[in-house]
Amino acid sequence: MKRPVLVRRDRVLPGSQAFAFVAGLVVALLFGAILLIASGHDPIEVYGRMWSSSFGSTNGLGRTFNRAVPLALAGLAVAIAGTMGLWNIGAEGQILAGALGAAWVARIGETWSSPALITAMLVAGTIAGLVWALGPALAKAGLGVNEIITTLMLNEVAVRVVRYLLNGAWKDPASLNFPVAPKLPEAARLPGLFGRAHLGVVIALVVIALVAVVVNRSAWGYELRIAGSSGPAAAYAGISLKRKILTVLLVSGAIAGLGGAIELTGNAERITEGISNGYGFAGIIVAALALMRPWAIPAVAVVFGAVQVGGSSIQTLGVPASVADILQALILAGALIAGVLMAYRVRWVSTRAQDPSGDGLEAVAGV
Amino acid sequence: MSEASIIGLFVFTIRFAVLLYLAALGEVIAERAGVLNLGVEGMMAMGAVSGFLVGLETGNPWLALIAGIIVGALTSGLHALLSVVLGADQVVSGLALTIFGLALAAFIGKDKVGTPPEGTFEPLPVPGLSEIPWVGEIFFQQPPVVYLTALAGLGAWYVLNRTRVGLGLRAAGESAATADAAGHSVVGLRVGAVMVGGAFAGASGAYLSLSLAPGWTEGMTAGRGWIAVALVIFGAWSPGRAALGALLFGATLALEPRLQTFGVDISPILLSMLPYLLTIAALLLLSIRSRNRPSPAPAAIGIPYRREER
Amino acid sequence: MPDAASEDAVLLRGIWKRFPGVVANAGANLRVRRGTIHAVLGENGAGKSTLMNVLSGVYRPDEGDLVIDGRARRFSSPADAIAAGVGMVHQEFRLVPTFTVAENVVLGASPLRIDKRDISARVDALADQYGLAADPTRPVWQLSMGERQRVEILKALWRDARVLILDEPTAVLTPAEADELGGIIRRMADEGRSVIFISHKLDEVKAFCDEATVLRGGKTVAESLDVREIEPTRMAELMVGDAGASVAERPAPHPVGKPVLELRGVNALGSRGLPALIDADLTVNEGEIVGIAGVSGNGQRELADVVAGLTPTTSGSIVLAGVDVAGRPPRVRFKAGLAYIPEDRLGVGLAPALSVVDNAILRSYRAHRRGPLLAVERCKRFCEGLVEKFGVKVGNVDDRIGSLSGGNLQRLLLGRELSGEPRLVLAAQPTRGLDVQGVRAIQQLLVDQRDADTGVLLISEDLDELLTLADRLFVMSEGRLLAEFDPTTATRAEIGAAMAGADGAMR
Repeated sequence: MKRPVLVRRDRVLPGSQAFAFVAGLVVALLFGAILLIASGHDPIEVYGRMWSSSFGSTNGLGRTFNRAVPLALAGLAVAIAGTMGLWNIGAEGQILAGALGAAWVARIGETWSSPALITAMLVAGTIAGLVWALGPALAKAGLGVNEIITTLMLNEVAVRVVRYLLNGAWKDPASLNFPVAPKLPEAARLPGLFGRAHLGVVIALVVIALVAVVVNRSAWGYELRIAGSSGPAAAYAGISLKRKILTVLLVSGAIAGLGGAIELTGNAERITEGISNGYGFAGIIVAALALMRPWAIPAVAVVFGAVQVGGSSIQTLGVPASVADILQALILAGALIAGVLMAYRVRWVSTRAQDPSGDGLEAVAGV
Repeated sequence: MSEASIIGLFVFTIRFAVLLYLAALGEVIAERAGVLNLGVEGMMAMGAVSGFLVGLETGNPWLALIAGIIVGALTSGLHALLSVVLGADQVVSGLALTIFGLALAAFIGKDKVGTPPEGTFEPLPVPGLSEIPWVGEIFFQQPPVVYLTALAGLGAWYVLNRTRVGLGLRAAGESAATADAAGHSVVGLRVGAVMVGGAFAGASGAYLSLSLAPGWTEGMTAGRGWIAVALVIFGAWSPGRAALGALLFGATLALEPRLQTFGVDISPILLSMLPYLLTIAALLLLSIRSRNRPSPAPAAIGIPYRREER
Repeated sequence: MPDAASEDAVLLRGIWKRFPGVVANAGANLRVRRGTIHAVLGENGAGKSTLMNVLSGVYRPDEGDLVIDGRARRFSSPADAIAAGVGMVHQEFRLVPTFTVAENVVLGASPLRIDKRDISARVDALADQYGLAADPTRPVWQLSMGERQRVEILKALWRDARVLILDEPTAVLTPAEADELGGIIRRMADEGRSVIFISHKLDEVKAFCDEATVLRGGKTVAESLDVREIEPTRMAELMVGDAGASVAERPAPHPVGKPVLELRGVNALGSRGLPALIDADLTVNEGEIVGIAGVSGNGQRELADVVAGLTPTTSGSIVLAGVDVAGRPPRVRFKAGLAYIPEDRLGVGLAPALSVVDNAILRSYRAHRRGPLLAVERCKRFCEGLVEKFGVKVGNVDDRIGSLSGGNLQRLLLGRELSGEPRLVLAAQPTRGLDVQGVRAIQQLLVDQRDADTGVLLISEDLDELLTLADRLFVMSEGRLLAEFDPTTATRAEIGAAMAGADGAMR
């Protein structure tokens, strides 16, 4: 009897993550095709529609980029915390908080000029995201409280804060008692870029570039990477872990908050409790696929944005939009499997304890 | 505030508690084995849709429940494969499972949204006991899943604390290398725990679509999976304390639509934040208390295990 | 079932085990007679642990035969070894802290249904039988190290181990507890079980054991000596061996300057919360190499961490190049002129997931800033300078540091630490695990530092290295700096005996 054992390769194959991502994409499309065929759809037609709607026209490309913005910023928020080995699962809530902060500015700044209003909204959203991450950051840095659970719980709280406001103080008097906020003023709309794309695409790219530079090139980012790789080495170099934990979680929340503000001014007519639309969770997958590296995030985010835009376009073919979410999860699953297979090789070893044939005798070490 | 409305509150406290407790019990089992599974929401949705569809097809609530259980376990197999067998990060894999389960459930149930349910669970009065005033109405005129859940809680406690498998499972969650050295298969125990956990989450979902809120709509789990995750922490990873937590959190869910009836001038939305805030408070207390004794959290949670073979 | 015809409980013949870059066992032999207590002696790195891991099923040997109770065996996991009646108590205990004593004992070998009272009673009875006092209902996290060890022994007995391996069991025990352990294992041997006792402490070997096997360099150098017949000093000589040829010539003497490091009455706790460094007094002067010899785990690690600032002192003063650094963070020390070569190169010295450049600038990155950014080109040039000057073989300085070999890791680490023109070099096990070339290169670097009037504190388990390089030599034992030797006149036997804690070493 033989059984497979995974043995770690001495060196990870070069370019393996890009390959794993592509492999994940292929696996996801294949599984998706099976699902589509089983439910009586033609996968070629469906995938063709998804492609043409997301990449086939200027407008489509714009929509794809717009979708990619909150995905990328959420992914970036997760990635910067991940650089230090921390999990910010609260991007969903921080996006909501950011949108809320921006919406609040729009309420008090109705008379301001458009550039001033939009700038103030983006700043307010960033601060609101930071504030939403403050509790988990303090608890982690001060008491070592697991940040995964605290940030996760605050997602659900954020949804309810928005719901509370929409049912009360922020309810549109003209809404016939429906719990919706009034429309944003025209001055609060982010200017367009090309086609349907808005200026948020540029802002997101600038922030990503900035974070990439900070993480990879600045002294602060260097300290972050040292602390993420080895606590004792960081301590020896005189780096305070607590302060790093606190600041990186706050920055992470701020980035997600900015994402929420951009989504509000760029894509939404008004704030709703669904404005985050799962971006925070999808952002975790984006960051994982990008291996927490900021510069790899835009590519992954654009693919995910395209999948989402394509997903909504196929509804006219009678295919549910949830295909997009299924594909996203399967891309990750496929990439994880491909990644493991590339980092390890499979070896077959004997299962019999006292097998004198000598098959199990070769060195277990990497000879 | 009438007597009927108070009894109604308690009846629904129990019913919501059962929804949360079933899922939380599964999560307790997985986490005690050392695997965090943030896919509860997705597994519940899969259990709900498959239970509902099988109910439509067969008209038999028991077949429908069994279908929900099996589908829940199979869904969790994805997490078991990625995080236990392949050693991927449990957080990422679990969240992917939530996204996947919710979406696949929506995909499968698309054509049946709004279809009147068949084969739902009806209340099953326990002979004799159901006659007791108040107590009988609250506890003993419930759908059968409620009674089974109480048995499941006892069973889970027994297996975890009074059997060899349970001892090995808890060892795998506290110190995987120790369990391995003692001759237990850590991967086997963890895969098993995740899939049993998935079965419980699937049962919770099927109970939702067959009994608590019969029918199917997209997103009908409405974040209850997250409350179940919270409940595990609030209940300090113990089936017993999680049951008490389930009653408390169940009460807030049952109270939400009734606040106004009771003339309480607090927004039900604020009330609905309570489970999450209580869980954060519980975590803070645990970490303060754990300074000079071990935390009740399984020590090896989140850490993939692979025997070190140099 | 044991083969009654064979009186050997364990027979290991020609065991080879290679790891990448290291040969841990090179044809080691061991014969343990049934019903005896058998000591396995050897310095750190002699291959004792590897050999025991082979016997207990953790490692598979590359070559060699394993015979238990007269039957040839081949283990593919610890479970196989347990099934064959071999139990091992590792130095790092394999216990679940939140479980009770009884739960830990029966883990993996309990009835399907666990009746807590019944299990507790049976564990209690087993404990009584061997004089292993332990309350079966207490959680393990509340127990002392000695009590935890008893739980480990109970685990092996519960599985009816015929051969019990104890890896340095007395390291965590008080002297009284150690004596008690001696009585317990004697009782087990009288019952026909066999005990393999790994130790450095020759007085204990003399007191507890029947026979001894000595390993050196992965080989068995003396097999099944009768402990009653042999002098401890002879055992020490066998352990440390003859003067090795692997070490360079003794460097020419060098004039000594003012003190750069002064420890006065320094105390510190180890990772287990017990005193690990006791009343340390030590002076290192400019232009000399002070060696610290000793068996590992006798406080050397704590000594290094205290000087580097990674472990707090409980009392005492540390003056480094005129600066009182006790209670100050690590950075103050390296500003004062400390270069630290830690025992854990990857982890404390280097951050494994980062690139060669990132690791090269750990000490100096604050000086390579341009505004808030790091001057990438300058960092790279600095790193390439180190790589060239210290002969580090590296494909690309942007590669992960983890891809470097042990010798190159150490060269880079040394290069980084020495680049700041240090006043004191603190090197802990700097040549461990390196090939001959690497050892020579590192040793030469240390001598060069001394010749440049830097003080060097060298902690090593390689006695040859210390005897060759050190100008003065101390032996550490049980947290104390015991004796000072003059390496040019001291004999290996004297030092070996002091390391082993034998009497008469003080002078």
